[in-house]
Amino acid sequence: MRSETTSWVARREARYGLLFVLPWIIGFLAFTAVPMAATFVFTFLNISLTEREPLMFVGLANYQRLFADRQAWASLWVTARFALLWLPLVVVLPFLLAVAVNSRYVRGTGLLRVLLFMPYVVPFVASALIWQNMLVDDGWINTALRVLGVGDAPSWLSDPSWVIPGLVMIGLWGLGSGIIINLAGLRGIPTELYDAARLDGAGWWRQLWHVTVPMMSPVIFYTMILAVVEVMQYFLIPLVLFDGSGDPGGATRFFNLYLYQTFFTYQEMSYGSTLAWLLFVITLVVTLVLFRLSRHWVHYTSER
Amino acid sequence: MNRLWHTLAAILLATTLAACGADAPPGGDDAAVELRWYCCLGTGEQAEQVKAQQKVIERFNASQRRIKVKLEVVTYDSARDTLATQIASGNVPDLAGPVGVGGAAAFHGQWLDLAPLIKSSGFDLSPYAKGSADLYRIGSVQEGVPFAIYPSTLYYKADMFEEAGLAEPPHKYGEKYTWPDGRQSEWNYDTLRELALKLTVDKNGKDATQEGFDPGQIVQYGFEPARDDLRYQGAAFAAGSLDTGDGKTVKIPDAWADSWRFFYDGMWKDRFIMTGPVFQTEQFNGDGAAFFSGHVAMSVNFLWSTYGVAGAGDDWDLAAMPSYKGRTTSPTSADTFRILAGSKHPAEAFEFLSYLVGPASQELLSAYGAMPARTADQDAFFAKLAGQFPNKVDWQVAKDSVAFADNPHSESYTPKYNQTLTILGTYRSRWMTQGGLDMNAQLKAMREEIQDVWNRS
Amino acid sequence: MTPYAARRIRTALMTIVMFGIVVAFLSPLVQMTLSSLKSERQVSQAHAPLLPSDPRTFTHEGRQYDVYRVPLDGAVRELALVKKGRAESEFLDPAAPERGTVVWRGSWRTLEPSWVLAPQWSNYAAVWRLIDFPRLLLNTITLAVISTIGTVLSCTLVAYGFARFRFPGRGPLFTLLIATIFLPTAVTLIPTYTIFVQIGWVGTWLPLLVPTFFANAYSVFLLRQYFLTIPREMDEAASIDGAGPLRTLRSVIVPQAWPAITAVILFNFVYTWNDYFTPLVYLSGRPELQPLQVGLAAFNGLYSTKPAYIQAGAMMTIAVPVILFICFQRTFVRGIMSTGVEK
Repeated sequence: MRSETTSWVARREARYGLLFVLPWIIGFLAFTAVPMAATFVFTFLNISLTEREPLMFVGLANYQRLFADRQAWASLWVTARFALLWLPLVVVLPFLLAVAVNSRYVRGTGLLRVLLFMPYVVPFVASALIWQNMLVDDGWINTALRVLGVGDAPSWLSDPSWVIPGLVMIGLWGLGSGIIINLAGLRGIPTELYDAARLDGAGWWRQLWHVTVPMMSPVIFYTMILAVVEVMQYFLIPLVLFDGSGDPGGATRFFNLYLYQTFFTYQEMSYGSTLAWLLFVITLVVTLVLFRLSRHWVHYTSER
Repeated sequence: MNRLWHTLAAILLATTLAACGADAPPGGDDAAVELRWYCCLGTGEQAEQVKAQQKVIERFNASQRRIKVKLEVVTYDSARDTLATQIASGNVPDLAGPVGVGGAAAFHGQWLDLAPLIKSSGFDLSPYAKGSADLYRIGSVQEGVPFAIYPSTLYYKADMFEEAGLAEPPHKYGEKYTWPDGRQSEWNYDTLRELALKLTVDKNGKDATQEGFDPGQIVQYGFEPARDDLRYQGAAFAAGSLDTGDGKTVKIPDAWADSWRFFYDGMWKDRFIMTGPVFQTEQFNGDGAAFFSGHVAMSVNFLWSTYGVAGAGDDWDLAAMPSYKGRTTSPTSADTFRILAGSKHPAEAFEFLSYLVGPASQELLSAYGAMPARTADQDAFFAKLAGQFPNKVDWQVAKDSVAFADNPHSESYTPKYNQTLTILGTYRSRWMTQGGLDMNAQLKAMREEIQDVWNRS
Repeated sequence: MTPYAARRIRTALMTIVMFGIVVAFLSPLVQMTLSSLKSERQVSQAHAPLLPSDPRTFTHEGRQYDVYRVPLDGAVRELALVKKGRAESEFLDPAAPERGTVVWRGSWRTLEPSWVLAPQWSNYAAVWRLIDFPRLLLNTITLAVISTIGTVLSCTLVAYGFARFRFPGRGPLFTLLIATIFLPTAVTLIPTYTIFVQIGWVGTWLPLLVPTFFANAYSVFLLRQYFLTIPREMDEAASIDGAGPLRTLRSVIVPQAWPAITAVILFNFVYTWNDYFTPLVYLSGRPELQPLQVGLAAFNGLYSTKPAYIQAGAMMTIAVPVILFICFQRTFVRGIMSTGVEK
């Protein structure tokens, strides 16, 4: 009798639960699962708009082409170079700025917080155009560099070896949310921990290393994972700045840009789908590895 | 392929409809046929031009009841990708234009052969210059009827020549250039180079031939080639194609290789052409045409650059194109309207197309700043164009240039057209931004890279 | 030095450094403002002053000449350059043109032009008209409001489902939900686009709005984490009072979860405001439906020769979000703080 009631209650609960979750399930099937499966099927076909060939199954031909495609790997390298420069910055800089803003010695914390966060709300097309204005040869950055005595200031947007740092600078405006999240994390660290550390005679540096960093590791991990996902798909700012041309000299033909070019400009749907799946697999592998590694350095105070 | 889309559509349609309970919008079963005019694979995106196009449509729609035309404006920057996507998904517009040879080549095989329609409707091709219809024939397919042509000329700033004490470049094809000392030389790219060096001036007023010239502080450049497209630069030397003729083998025409070396050395060695970073600065006017900044003495460009040339001041004029190895070429762009092969109403689309290139042509051509392909309309066009500028311009140069049009056209179709363009663009950008490259190695690598793409089936 | 004074100095130094960083960080906004007021003439001049200025000109007998600062007879005079030459040039005194020209030996390019302060406020009026700003703004606001409503409604329901009900497959489904965060959008783009074409949605707002009513991973995650912190006893009490699950959600959960909901609202509003690629793909060819971002990018393509216009356009685009942010900065910051730490 009792177990029957329980199972009735449980069934009712399950019914409600599924009902509430239903919008997402439908959305997932319609906008994610089915299209994704379709894209996967495409990778074994020869859908290309420019080549008038009958639709057919081509086996692994698209994958073979992928391995021989110099541009694909060159583009992956562009994305990787950007990521190598960008990821450390996007993880460390908000943390350091948050620590500084949170310092006892800084006045006007509220104002600083607001001002640092503000560019986050600037639409990125506008911020790309604003920064373009800063980074051109006669813009403020190079003018400042010349004042500081740099005779040969870099051409940020038109030198293939300087354009990636230039794009990183444009990205700095998006750090606001990271700073705020880090600040919130810092506020959450119990002050007793610092008191105890001070009693042990730990200075500022030791407190940072032994209290702040471990306590903040979940926040740092969180910002890192989101940054990785974003960086893998990065291409919109170069798309706006260089009309998707990959200029200068192909140095901004990011993997995702090459992917969209394959879809839209070359109209090679099947090969584009193959590139999309490669991107998906790489993202998956990188995040899984990061999650695995996180066990060694991320400290959760309470288990859920 | 279409079947695949449909099956896929059906599956997802069911899911989506079930999900939101919405109805697909009705298919529009009006009596009138609705035509979509897709703009701007070429010119046509400026606000004034859009207005002129809208007016033409309104008049056409009012003139009859069977056909209703709608204009779709996509800015030039994203027009190709958007059209590709629309075609890919079966959402094909009926008519596109104005579109040039290159824009059309980017959609090779997607255009309707107009020959049967021209025949059945009795369209009259006789008012056009003989052979001009051939500009729009690709193989056996007649893709367009003549509408607008844009020859290339040399734009130059007369005041800069005067300041340097130099004679202006010749306006008549075949004339020689006269130096201050009375010496005469052939009007070719060597002469142009010599002139350009004298017309490249640094902040201290020294020109590029003088001792102590400071290449880091140039305020006036001698020459600006057609920077946007390497093929155009090549064709300004001599007509050619990357395709040896078999549709499989890549060869860079010798004249093109020479023109690219001229471009590269002009930037990095001789310094009379601005490098990429300089070209980007506001002072030399962003990514518009550098000549418009008023800091460039000579520039090769199409006639359509009259749209912004007023920025160069009121001292500019047109001169003859220089020759290369004794032959002169004026790369000529030819815009028209084309009908997409996927159009569901080709007959109606052709009716509208006939209206555009016929009764509406004068109005549209003047909005586009385009020279009419119909010879009888040309004088009226130049009279109107001249009225836009305070200075006196020798428009006869433009008319004379048509005789030197490039054949084959530099933007003609080659295999893997869009991929090839990307590679050319990447090299162009690299040359503009990196000094000290070995051009022979670059040309070899470029050829191989393109060949690689062509080899892909 | 007393420890107190040392502390004061340290505070002053740190504060100055931090504000210095912020000034550098925000300096692009200043350059944008100044550039947006420049005239075309100034933009095309080398070594122009920082502030929006115009080179002074002098009109004589129907022609316009530039005025330069010319060192003559030990004094610097402002003279109009009427005939340019490489070795010597002729100048006219604007104050007394009847006295005829003066010859100055040297390269006129080494002379400094005479500048007058001349901010071009008309740039803004011109851009407002050219870009059709009011329509773009209205489109953006409408899109942002509707999709934010969709997101909040659907995500609250879904998060509630995940937070409070046990049902078969809940764990795997939630993992799947989180996994979609890592999914590159490119993987689903072409089939999705095709479907939207087939049902006639391309060229309308539907592809941008409808999906928001089917929940997204970020917001569901944030809301669920917050819902979990609300004690279960509260909804049990409500259900003893006879409240159904929907009423419990409305009367117990939602009032408790306002900080998280506000954060979701703000994030989604900013996200939609800033979205560029989706409207670019689905609304190309329909400029009358496009939001600001797409309009601004197109404007950039059209008027790249007029940097002042581009910067004025950028200024107008960022005005609304920045003003909104300044008004609601507390809510913004608190919203992020309240959810950011939840992992």
